[in-house]
Amino acid sequence: MSIQPIPETVPAPTAVLRPKRGRSRAPSGRPMWLMWPSILLLVVIIGIPLLIAVYISFLHLDQYTLRSWLQAPWVGLSNYVTALTAGNVIGASALVSLGVSLGFSLLTTLLITPIGTLAALTVNTPYRGRTFVRVLYLVPYVIPTFVTALIWRMMFLNGTGLVDRSLAAIHVANINTYWLLGPNSFWAMVIADTWASWAFIYIMVLAGLQSISSDQYEAANMDGANSWQKLTRIVLPQLRHVLGLALLLSTLYHFNNFTLPFVMFGTPPPLQADVLPLNIYVSSFQLFNFGLGGAMSVITLILMLVPGFLYIRTLRLGEVTAS
Amino acid sequence: MKVNSRCARLWLPLLMLLSLVLAACGGGSSSSQGQTLHVLVGYNSTYSAQQKQWMQQITSEFQKATGATIAWDTFSSSSEEQTKLQTSVVSGSGPDVFSFGTTFVPTAQSTKGFTTLTDQDWKLVGGKDRFFKQQLTMAGSSPNQLIAVPFVMRPFAMVYNKELFQKAGITTPPTTWTQFVQDAQKMTDPSAGVHGAEIDPSDSFDPWKIWWMFAEQLGGSFISQDLKTAQMNSPEAVQAIKFWFDWATTYKIVDPNSMAWKAGDATQAFANSKVGMLIMVTPTLTPTLQKSAVAGKYAFAPMPTIPYGMQQRPAGGVPAATIVSGDMLAVADYSNVKDLAFKFINLVTDEQHQIQWTKTFGDLPVNVQAANSLASKDPQTAAFIQAEQGATPTPFTGVWGPLEVALAGVSSKLANEVATNRYDPSHIKPLLDQANQQIQGQLH
Repeated sequence: MSIQPIPETVPAPTAVLRPKRGRSRAPSGRPMWLMWPSILLLVVIIGIPLLIAVYISFLHLDQYTLRSWLQAPWVGLSNYVTALTAGNVIGASALVSLGVSLGFSLLTTLLITPIGTLAALTVNTPYRGRTFVRVLYLVPYVIPTFVTALIWRMMFLNGTGLVDRSLAAIHVANINTYWLLGPNSFWAMVIADTWASWAFIYIMVLAGLQSISSDQYEAANMDGANSWQKLTRIVLPQLRHVLGLALLLSTLYHFNNFTLPFVMFGTPPPLQADVLPLNIYVSSFQLFNFGLGGAMSVITLILMLVPGFLYIRTLRLGEVTAS
Repeated sequence: MKVNSRCARLWLPLLMLLSLVLAACGGGSSSSQGQTLHVLVGYNSTYSAQQKQWMQQITSEFQKATGATIAWDTFSSSSEEQTKLQTSVVSGSGPDVFSFGTTFVPTAQSTKGFTTLTDQDWKLVGGKDRFFKQQLTMAGSSPNQLIAVPFVMRPFAMVYNKELFQKAGITTPPTTWTQFVQDAQKMTDPSAGVHGAEIDPSDSFDPWKIWWMFAEQLGGSFISQDLKTAQMNSPEAVQAIKFWFDWATTYKIVDPNSMAWKAGDATQAFANSKVGMLIMVTPTLTPTLQKSAVAGKYAFAPMPTIPYGMQQRPAGGVPAATIVSGDMLAVADYSNVKDLAFKFINLVTDEQHQIQWTKTFGDLPVNVQAANSLASKDPQTAAFIQAEQGATPTPFTGVWGPLEVALAGVSSKLANEVATNRYDPSHIKPLLDQANQQIQGQLH
């Protein structure tokens, strides 16, 4: 008995309709000009600050020139060179921080994906107490990040924290193992973030699972499929898109996570936990080197455009809107 | 009709946007016009209820005296304080009166965002004679370029456990760092979890204050006299930092597992009777200790001023035991209620309110008469006031704020090494070289 995988549905090619020149009216007759307030607000809230950030990245902007920042000396690409080579005085260079951020975001995403998926599968079919379990699963996700970070900070304290006490009790590690300093700080950050964010994958996957028609399960049952076959031939293929989107969003979210390392380690953080957002913050707002911070931000933006582009492609935003 | 429709399409979104912008800006502009003084102060987590009460009282008295009201804003961390200050300076709007620590005044002045007080302004705040002269050394870059008015002071000292002293047969607090180490070794009993001293290398502020003190006593300085050269990598600075980490690595007088500690962790250990001497503390610690296991068993003393291994300070050494420390009030340059701001400062720094503040919050008064009045009744207060009068000001340069952060970074990296058994004293100099180079780049 074999179950054929359900062919992936390929959206029919849609004709791209070119807007008519002149009047800003969509082919469907919708008054597109009503979007102007939103567009103007986006320009004010996102566009102008973005341009200012790019401009600042070329300036020697510090506490002396902050007030009249438009007159700050132009230094060309030197902030970018500093960002990629020296970094700020207390932390790592942007490249090192980039490595930390990438490792942190990819590893966390990698860890939360199976956890979230398995959790979603456990509450997909009805049973007594399912609602309670669903609510329980959401607890880590709804706790504010700074509270999560504080709790984990206390748990990771060397000697007195729950982690060290537990590991020492089962003779796995010394009771004075440092988690908030040194190489372990990276793992402490990953563990805390995994605990806090696996529910995001759970929510996304559960939504995907709920959209799978029960007819397909019934048909599989009639064909004598076992649970594993249903999972691999029905569920996972249909979750591919939603899971892909969840992975992208998760990676982006973890890459930009500032609160967790900021609260867990404070400033200056250990080098191994000096993620890019924290490095930018310290450079700009504590060392008053706004030019350097601006350069690091622009570098981050360029890097984030890559998964951002993938995200848009995954959603096929343009095509859906056009159709 | 067609023209009207087109106009509507163009103007409607613009009007909507304009109304949103006006609505967003409305809150800020009306407050100053309505004779409201905006004041930004640090949130006091130890005395939050008392602080709220104090704010209400001051608002009420201020309203009676001027007819104007006060809108209070608070910050709970130095990061938040800096962000608010930077945002206000750039945008030209925000609080009228800022409260910040003495060592942040140089950085604040370098932003050119605060009012330089004229003689007339000083009269409005009660006159320069009202305040301790030592405090005024940190109020501006020169006597005629003062931007801040002293508000409260917090001289630094050390606190020791009298019971542990007695047990170890120590009769008086140490006056040299050699004695300090010897006394600490006598009190250290690792099996009981008791250590003679403590360090907190992951704190953002304590390390630089302690290193600064050691370096000054050795005759060094982090910044040259003319404020043009960074000297954070001088032999004195290296020696100062090495001596501090020697407490953990060589003399074994501190908890070896304290590398991730911040000031609060060290205080907690002292409050639990696990520490003999805790340095670089202020009298504001008293309420915490009074509620702890060491209540009634502790005393304050000045910190030693003779470097380790020496009988006297070397040439050029300064008996630095405390920085000029405390909080100052500064008026934003963009404020259009400066007269009100000065009246507010006058109110909170007068004798009566200063005494009340000290009795409530533990900080010492900057008002000379208030300080004398309190000192005549309490010898501990008198000792702290005497310490403040001999305080050494930190160099008045706009890079002092970044310098503090840079040294916190060096401390964090060294603590990292100690924690992972990779510490080598020879690593201190390269780290200081890097910090020094970058701070030098910011010096004007």
